[in-house]
Amino acid sequence: MTKGLNGWIRVLVMVLALVVIVNSSLSEEYLSVRNQINLFQLSIEKVIVALMMTLVIINAEIDLSVGSMMGLSACAFGWLFQETSLSAEWAILVCLIIGMLGGALNGVFVAYAGLPSLVVTLATLIGFRGLARVLVEDRGITDFPEWFDAIGQTGLIGPVPFSLFAFLLLFAGLYVVLHKSGFGRKTFVIGTSRDVAVFAGIDTARHKMILFIGSGMVSAFAGLLYAARVGAVRGDVAFGFELDIITMVLLGGVSIFGGVGSMFGTLMAILIVLNLRNGMALLNITGHIQTGVIGVLLITSVIATRLDLGRFRLRKENAG
Amino acid sequence: MCEPLLRLENVTKRFGMTTALQDMSLDIFSGEVHAIVGENGAGKSTIIKIMTGIHQTTEGRLVIDGTARNISGARAARDIGIAAIYQEPMVFPDLDVAENIFISARSGWFLNQAQLHAEAQRLLGRIGIALDSSSIASGLTLAAQQAVEIARALSQDVRILIMDEPTASLSAHEAKQLRKVARTLAEEGVAVIYISHRLEEIFDIADRVTVIRDGIHISTRPIGDVTSEGMVSEMVGRDVGNYFVKAPSTVTSNSLLRVEHLTREGIFSDISFDLMQGEVLCMAGLVGARRTDVALALFGINPSSSGQIFYKGRQINPSCAREAMDAGIAYVSEDRRKLGLAMPMSLRSNVSLATLRSFVGRWGFLDQSLERMTALEYRDRLNIRAPDVELSVGMLSGGNQQKTMLAKWLRMKPDVLIFDEPTRGIDIGAKAEVHALIREFVANGGGAIVISSDLPEVLAMGDRILVMREGRQMGIVNSTETGQETIMRLATGQASVEAA
Repeated sequence: MTKGLNGWIRVLVMVLALVVIVNSSLSEEYLSVRNQINLFQLSIEKVIVALMMTLVIINAEIDLSVGSMMGLSACAFGWLFQETSLSAEWAILVCLIIGMLGGALNGVFVAYAGLPSLVVTLATLIGFRGLARVLVEDRGITDFPEWFDAIGQTGLIGPVPFSLFAFLLLFAGLYVVLHKSGFGRKTFVIGTSRDVAVFAGIDTARHKMILFIGSGMVSAFAGLLYAARVGAVRGDVAFGFELDIITMVLLGGVSIFGGVGSMFGTLMAILIVLNLRNGMALLNITGHIQTGVIGVLLITSVIATRLDLGRFRLRKENAG
Repeated sequence: MCEPLLRLENVTKRFGMTTALQDMSLDIFSGEVHAIVGENGAGKSTIIKIMTGIHQTTEGRLVIDGTARNISGARAARDIGIAAIYQEPMVFPDLDVAENIFISARSGWFLNQAQLHAEAQRLLGRIGIALDSSSIASGLTLAAQQAVEIARALSQDVRILIMDEPTASLSAHEAKQLRKVARTLAEEGVAVIYISHRLEEIFDIADRVTVIRDGIHISTRPIGDVTSEGMVSEMVGRDVGNYFVKAPSTVTSNSLLRVEHLTREGIFSDISFDLMQGEVLCMAGLVGARRTDVALALFGINPSSSGQIFYKGRQINPSCAREAMDAGIAYVSEDRRKLGLAMPMSLRSNVSLATLRSFVGRWGFLDQSLERMTALEYRDRLNIRAPDVELSVGMLSGGNQQKTMLAKWLRMKPDVLIFDEPTRGIDIGAKAEVHALIREFVANGGGAIVISSDLPEVLAMGDRILVMREGRQMGIVNSTETGQETIMRLATGQASVEAA
């Protein structure tokens, strides 16, 4: 979109290269296929949701309820499997429908009632999580069918699991949607200025509705992947995931004010976060410090965006 | 008047590769109203920004009271006594008038509230403005907010007051009052630098006029030695023969749009008119006449509550912009920044904005090469000065932004185009081009509704003129049989005529 974003993405590519070089000098195991798949596997649910979140934030909205929706979907699956006679296949379908309805609930309040998404999805963050806890209470539900666990735990083709394919497929799909389609263009325009979009005859409410439904469904799907990978669900599945997800998206250069961002930037940010954590784990650096380092990166990205905004304003004035 | 208060000496300002000002020298004396005129992009804003410390000179220097000074920032400018007011007043909406005036006063000022208000009243009195110092700023008119800004400058012992297009958003009456304030200040010894696109204002107020073009000083003359034509041709560097010359009418007898008793409860009522094919119908009125609200009702943004709209004889009832656009009605907003253009996005994306559907092929793919070709075509046709269509429109000048907005709507090929203040704040060259585009549009079978506060423009552009006042239709007059006085009398409610 803008020179500033491209500049930031170049920085991200360099940071990624640096991380990869340092990591491979630390450990021979690092570049092995097994380790590379493993570092993806450990956060696969988050990174899948981050892809969809990119579109939501570019559209100048936010969805804080994604972590709770992942939890709700996983718990609903466990509950349906244990308490009803529904087969696992049907339970999956029901969970995806729950994601759709949950997203639609967010969408109605944001797009049609005009409430700020920060507040609406904060409310559903609490609501969805509450529902998840009601469903499973204090139990852990396990003993899912073998084929279901296998989706999350074994390779689909060779050692590459289904979830990684799902991630790549979703990335490719959303890349085309955001950067090559009319829908993507509208996402940028509405994110830049909703009023300009309204005056150009764009149905902004419908657009936001679609994005929130998409966000809900992707979250529900990611919740199911979590259940399959871990082989068990509890009330606190994916608790607090929304912050890691939003961090990755913003690190990728997406502006929290909307209108600026790219799928490639988010992908770079995801790769950096995963490889950085992996490398620090190889160095026996604790999780808290890992989180701190990523925090520093995030602040840098926000400052970079700010500087870009300032430069843009300056140029605009020069023209007049 | 021998020693200038402020002197620019051979000032050059470059931004990267572009030169905004070239060897500019200018003297400003205390007690004078000094008008600076020039097309958009001529360098007026850069001069202001150098004087107010936002930009620093690349070469040359500023001399204040005979000594070379460096204005390092807004604070330094204020300490010297330089203040600027703009078209959009900068007031804090939730504070009252007195608090706004003394917003940056040191704490020593706040002896007590009564004294604060008394001092505010004194400052307002000095510029002859009757305003309650305890009113909340957000409830004030634009004109009153500007008065607050001027009073704020006075409270800081202003010696040089820069007024940048201060009257662009004001009604004729308010503008006149503001000019009187500027005159009063000059008589008290303040140097007033006045920037305006309205030439008649310059003749009304200025002592001296400086013309700049492409960052170069062209002339500085006493107002008595200047003619309107001479000034315009110096500004554009060529003779503008057809500025505000009436084009031949192309009105036909086919009705495109028929509006009957259109009302929006509490906003406007009983608006009725016919728009013919080939006609330019102007809407005149003062600020608060609710002309834009009528336009927004026709465009479906704020639907009317009663009355009928007939489009080519068929009744329509648009409840959103899309429905109006599907019928064939387009609206070019007056607010480029908020409603018209996605400023950070490219010229290409903005030109295709209203017709995005036509660029989307099977499976929802956007045909970006067709989009690019279209943008290039319209850039050349409308003479939009941009080296490439991938450039963000925020970087273009006001006139070129305006033409980009027109391109966006002309691409839709509407039958009825509503222009809301299409030439506000753009330079004379671009104005003439916009006028020609509107004329070309109606000559090709369209019908245009032009909302404008510029009376000479209204008389030159319009075939008929609908005058509104406070949400009511005061009359429709034929532009060939009427003058500015008649329109002003209607707009101020001193007369009314039966709707034609």
